[in-house]
Amino acid sequence: MAEIPSILPATPEIFLACSALALLLLGVFKGDCATRLVSHLAAAALLVAAILVLSHSGARVFAFNGMFVVDGFGVFMKTLVLIGAAAVVMVGQGYAAQQRMNRFELPVLIVLSTVGMMMMISANDLMALYMGLETQSLALYVLAAFRRDTQTSTEAGLKYFVLGALSSGLLLFGASLIYGFTGTTNFDRIVAVLASAPKAEIGIVVGMVFMIAGLAFKVAAVPFHMWAPDVYEGSPTPVTAFFAAAPKVAAVALLLRVLIDPFGGLTDQWRQIITFMAVVSMVLGAVGAIQQTNIKRLLAYGSIGHVGYIFLGLAAGSEQGVRGILIYLAVYLVMTVGTFAVVLSMRHQGRPVENIAHFAGLSRTHPMMALVMALFMFSMAGIPPLAGFFGKFYVFLAAIEGHLYGLAVIGVLTSVIAAFYYLRIVKLMYFDETPVESIDQQNDGAVTVVLVGCGVFTALFFFFPVPIMSGAASAAASLFAG
Amino acid sequence: MASFWTFVWPLIVIVAAIVAIIIPVLIGVAYLTYAERKVMSAMQRRQGPALVGPLGLLQPVADGLKLFGKEMVIPSGANPGVFLFAPFLTFVLSLVAWAVMPFGAHLVLSNINVGILYLYAISSLGVYGTIMAGWASNSRYAFLGGLRSAAQMVSYEVSMGLIMVTVLLCTGSFNLSEIVLAQQTVWFAVPLFPMFVIFFISILAETNRAPFDLPEGEAELVGGFFTEYSCMNFALFMLGEYSNMILMSAIAVVLFLGGWLPPLNFGPFAPIVNLVPGPIWFALKIAFVLFFFIWMRAAFPRYRYDQLMRLGWKIFLPFTLLWVIVTASALEIFGWLPAVVP
Amino acid sequence: MIVENLVFYTFSAILLVSSIMVISARNPVHAVLALVATFFLGAGLFVLLGAEFLAMTLVIVYVGAVAVLFLFVVMMLDISFAELRQGFLRYLPVGGLVGLVLVVELVLVELHWTVTPKVLDKPAAPIPPSDQVSNSHALGHILYTQYFYLFQASGLILLIAMIGAIVLSLRSRAHVRRQSVAAQVGRQTADAVAVRQVSTGGGV
Repeated sequence: MAEIPSILPATPEIFLACSALALLLLGVFKGDCATRLVSHLAAAALLVAAILVLSHSGARVFAFNGMFVVDGFGVFMKTLVLIGAAAVVMVGQGYAAQQRMNRFELPVLIVLSTVGMMMMISANDLMALYMGLETQSLALYVLAAFRRDTQTSTEAGLKYFVLGALSSGLLLFGASLIYGFTGTTNFDRIVAVLASAPKAEIGIVVGMVFMIAGLAFKVAAVPFHMWAPDVYEGSPTPVTAFFAAAPKVAAVALLLRVLIDPFGGLTDQWRQIITFMAVVSMVLGAVGAIQQTNIKRLLAYGSIGHVGYIFLGLAAGSEQGVRGILIYLAVYLVMTVGTFAVVLSMRHQGRPVENIAHFAGLSRTHPMMALVMALFMFSMAGIPPLAGFFGKFYVFLAAIEGHLYGLAVIGVLTSVIAAFYYLRIVKLMYFDETPVESIDQQNDGAVTVVLVGCGVFTALFFFFPVPIMSGAASAAASLFAG
Repeated sequence: MASFWTFVWPLIVIVAAIVAIIIPVLIGVAYLTYAERKVMSAMQRRQGPALVGPLGLLQPVADGLKLFGKEMVIPSGANPGVFLFAPFLTFVLSLVAWAVMPFGAHLVLSNINVGILYLYAISSLGVYGTIMAGWASNSRYAFLGGLRSAAQMVSYEVSMGLIMVTVLLCTGSFNLSEIVLAQQTVWFAVPLFPMFVIFFISILAETNRAPFDLPEGEAELVGGFFTEYSCMNFALFMLGEYSNMILMSAIAVVLFLGGWLPPLNFGPFAPIVNLVPGPIWFALKIAFVLFFFIWMRAAFPRYRYDQLMRLGWKIFLPFTLLWVIVTASALEIFGWLPAVVP
Repeated sequence: MIVENLVFYTFSAILLVSSIMVISARNPVHAVLALVATFFLGAGLFVLLGAEFLAMTLVIVYVGAVAVLFLFVVMMLDISFAELRQGFLRYLPVGGLVGLVLVVELVLVELHWTVTPKVLDKPAAPIPPSDQVSNSHALGHILYTQYFYLFQASGLILLIAMIGAIVLSLRSRAHVRRQSVAAQVGRQTADAVAVRQVSTGGGV
């Protein structure tokens, strides 16, 4: 009789899953009038889970027979995901209540999806990886189609589902090849098998390529990005905010874990693919966004570009690179949540507007909101001394240290192009005439808190970079130590 | 030559065994229709079939011959392949399930490890005969009947599966003979009585019998999925339906009424009841369950469709799920879990 | 041995034919029926491998439930496959190229197939001899211990799927008369029937 495996390291996940079930019960018994309560409780549960995650010592421990690993890297990433998810739940609640999607399943699905993301981050086995990924994705498919009565939302859900299922298929195919050639699904054993063979088998490499393709789908890296603009545009805005924040972080974390941990020995093989995807993502992210008039589409292309920069750091394949990525992700998460908080408050006569023309003259009607938006836009463009600059800086630094000079140059050039459309929004807000259709005044406490928090972080990161920097450094070190 | 015979001899034995099972089942089917008419007529103060042969005993034969003599009609616009295959499938499926049925101690054609799962799988395939017939007939009545039956059978299979799980928890084996032998001290119908009742109701729904005979509800759908069938095809459907009834009763007997084990098998009764061989007890118990089938038909009006779904999903499913938990907890707490090979 | 081989090749051949029919049948219902046949024969192959539990589960879950619902939907929708195939020729060159690349890759992979020597020492889950432990017992032993995490995670996924289905499809429509069994059963004679003494010729 085998022993019951140790489950203590998974306490945050178990807590979050149980609280999702409790919230579901609460919602089912109380009906949709309890949505507000469920949302607040969901945010609280996410924050409590973040505290539980942070209470971990950071040592590398396993649970469930080595399928689940908790280490410094996992702690850092899970904290990001949980904070991002909690912020989105808080910000999105008011919007959802106004736009007739006031249903208690929304926060519950977000919490369940977050559980999936934490499972992804902690995966130490191909099967655990897939389970986490599906838990996350399935909830996201539903979230994308949450406004089932509108055509755009159902289209977004369907598109995301079909393409997501395809990418899962690719991933599984790759995983099965890897299992076939190494005889194991456990990451540590894969490392051992790779180390024992003089040269990597072609089957393992092919399997790895399929897995990278599947994961690149989830992070929307070019050439697997085509779903992103449509899904970002079609989904309800709170859901889009969630898409841009948490799953992106989790998928990047998973990609890092897979490429550095089991396939660390194959760095030379995967570097070519990552480099290629980094270049095309950066270019397409910058060029594609230029003609967009919808703010959500624009941010979708922006996020494709951000993935390009993240891959730039990954292509370096070094501890510096991973540290840069972690800083980048932390900064990206805050900027994205902040930007979406602004987008969520954009209403015209009570109806949400998404056209960037509506930003015109915002500085005169709502000076504070225009100020934080400008802050985020400058930061996304990478203007020093804002937070976004440091994210890019460390990634580029790692690329240069890894002698990827060409890649770094392309990165700098594309950030200049990208600066164009970010700064265009600033120009609209500060230098254009106020149109007749101005944006309404919004007074949502949660949105204000999140906006102020994100704005302060973005502006003052320069003065207090140490917690994030040292956290990222130790997280990157723990990933490479494993 | 010897090797040839070692190869062929088991084949002959198996074929003989199959024939030995199928022939009694088919005779049983024929006389089940007779019994149904007789019992119902008795319940309704009528005489029932009484003209063909003594006491009308040859009535099933006459019915069969009549059906043979009819013209085979394939409706225009029907899908001939599927149309002809559907009754055949229903009939064959109702017979292949008997392969794993234990008629007595060691008296079983194929004593496989997962006998109960095999039965469950075969019974879940049964829905295809109905749904294919409904679709291929190119008739609205038949189509509606097919859809109803598909939804109904899938719904009730869920709770049937959970009921089987409770029984399996008590036996620790999928093997049907072991399930029967686990009931030597007490038949499962006693400790799991609520499950037995729900199982009985579920098999009524699973075999599309009254009061759940909506797929063929004459009042609204003419004849349901076999509206368009005639002649031998119709006969095959009827044979399949009745043989399914016998099969389901047999499953109920194996799971809850101790299979071939004699009743009252203790104290002074033991020598007496053991005089009767196991297979006879088995047949008697099946007949007992079948009587309930007929009784239900005579006693209850047909359910409405939403009531049927409500019963399946909102009452049986939660209840059986709860009972699985209760059974598992009871077994764990009192230490009654069956000993299982490592 | 001969019998097993014979059965194996028969099953495999029919399986291949029916899986081709799944994608080539003109009638969508025929395609689904071919899919059912494919599942069924796949279960047959599992039995030949001695994995009887998996075989039965495949039949129960895929054939008995999933494919039935699939058939249900396909029958009710009026799908014209001819219409779906209209873009076929247009996309054939690109699709064909991608398919070709995949085939070449797979062939390359197959040609290099060797088992790394250390693999066989460390199987993830050693298979107990089938004459000692039935494979349902063997599966049960690792499913609830070693793979407990995955088992629970699958449960979570199914829960999400269920919530999703309800979120996307459940509507509370007005003007629907629902049956309340409790109200029906709880009805008393006094609620429904009133006994009155009617005077002759007086009317009610």
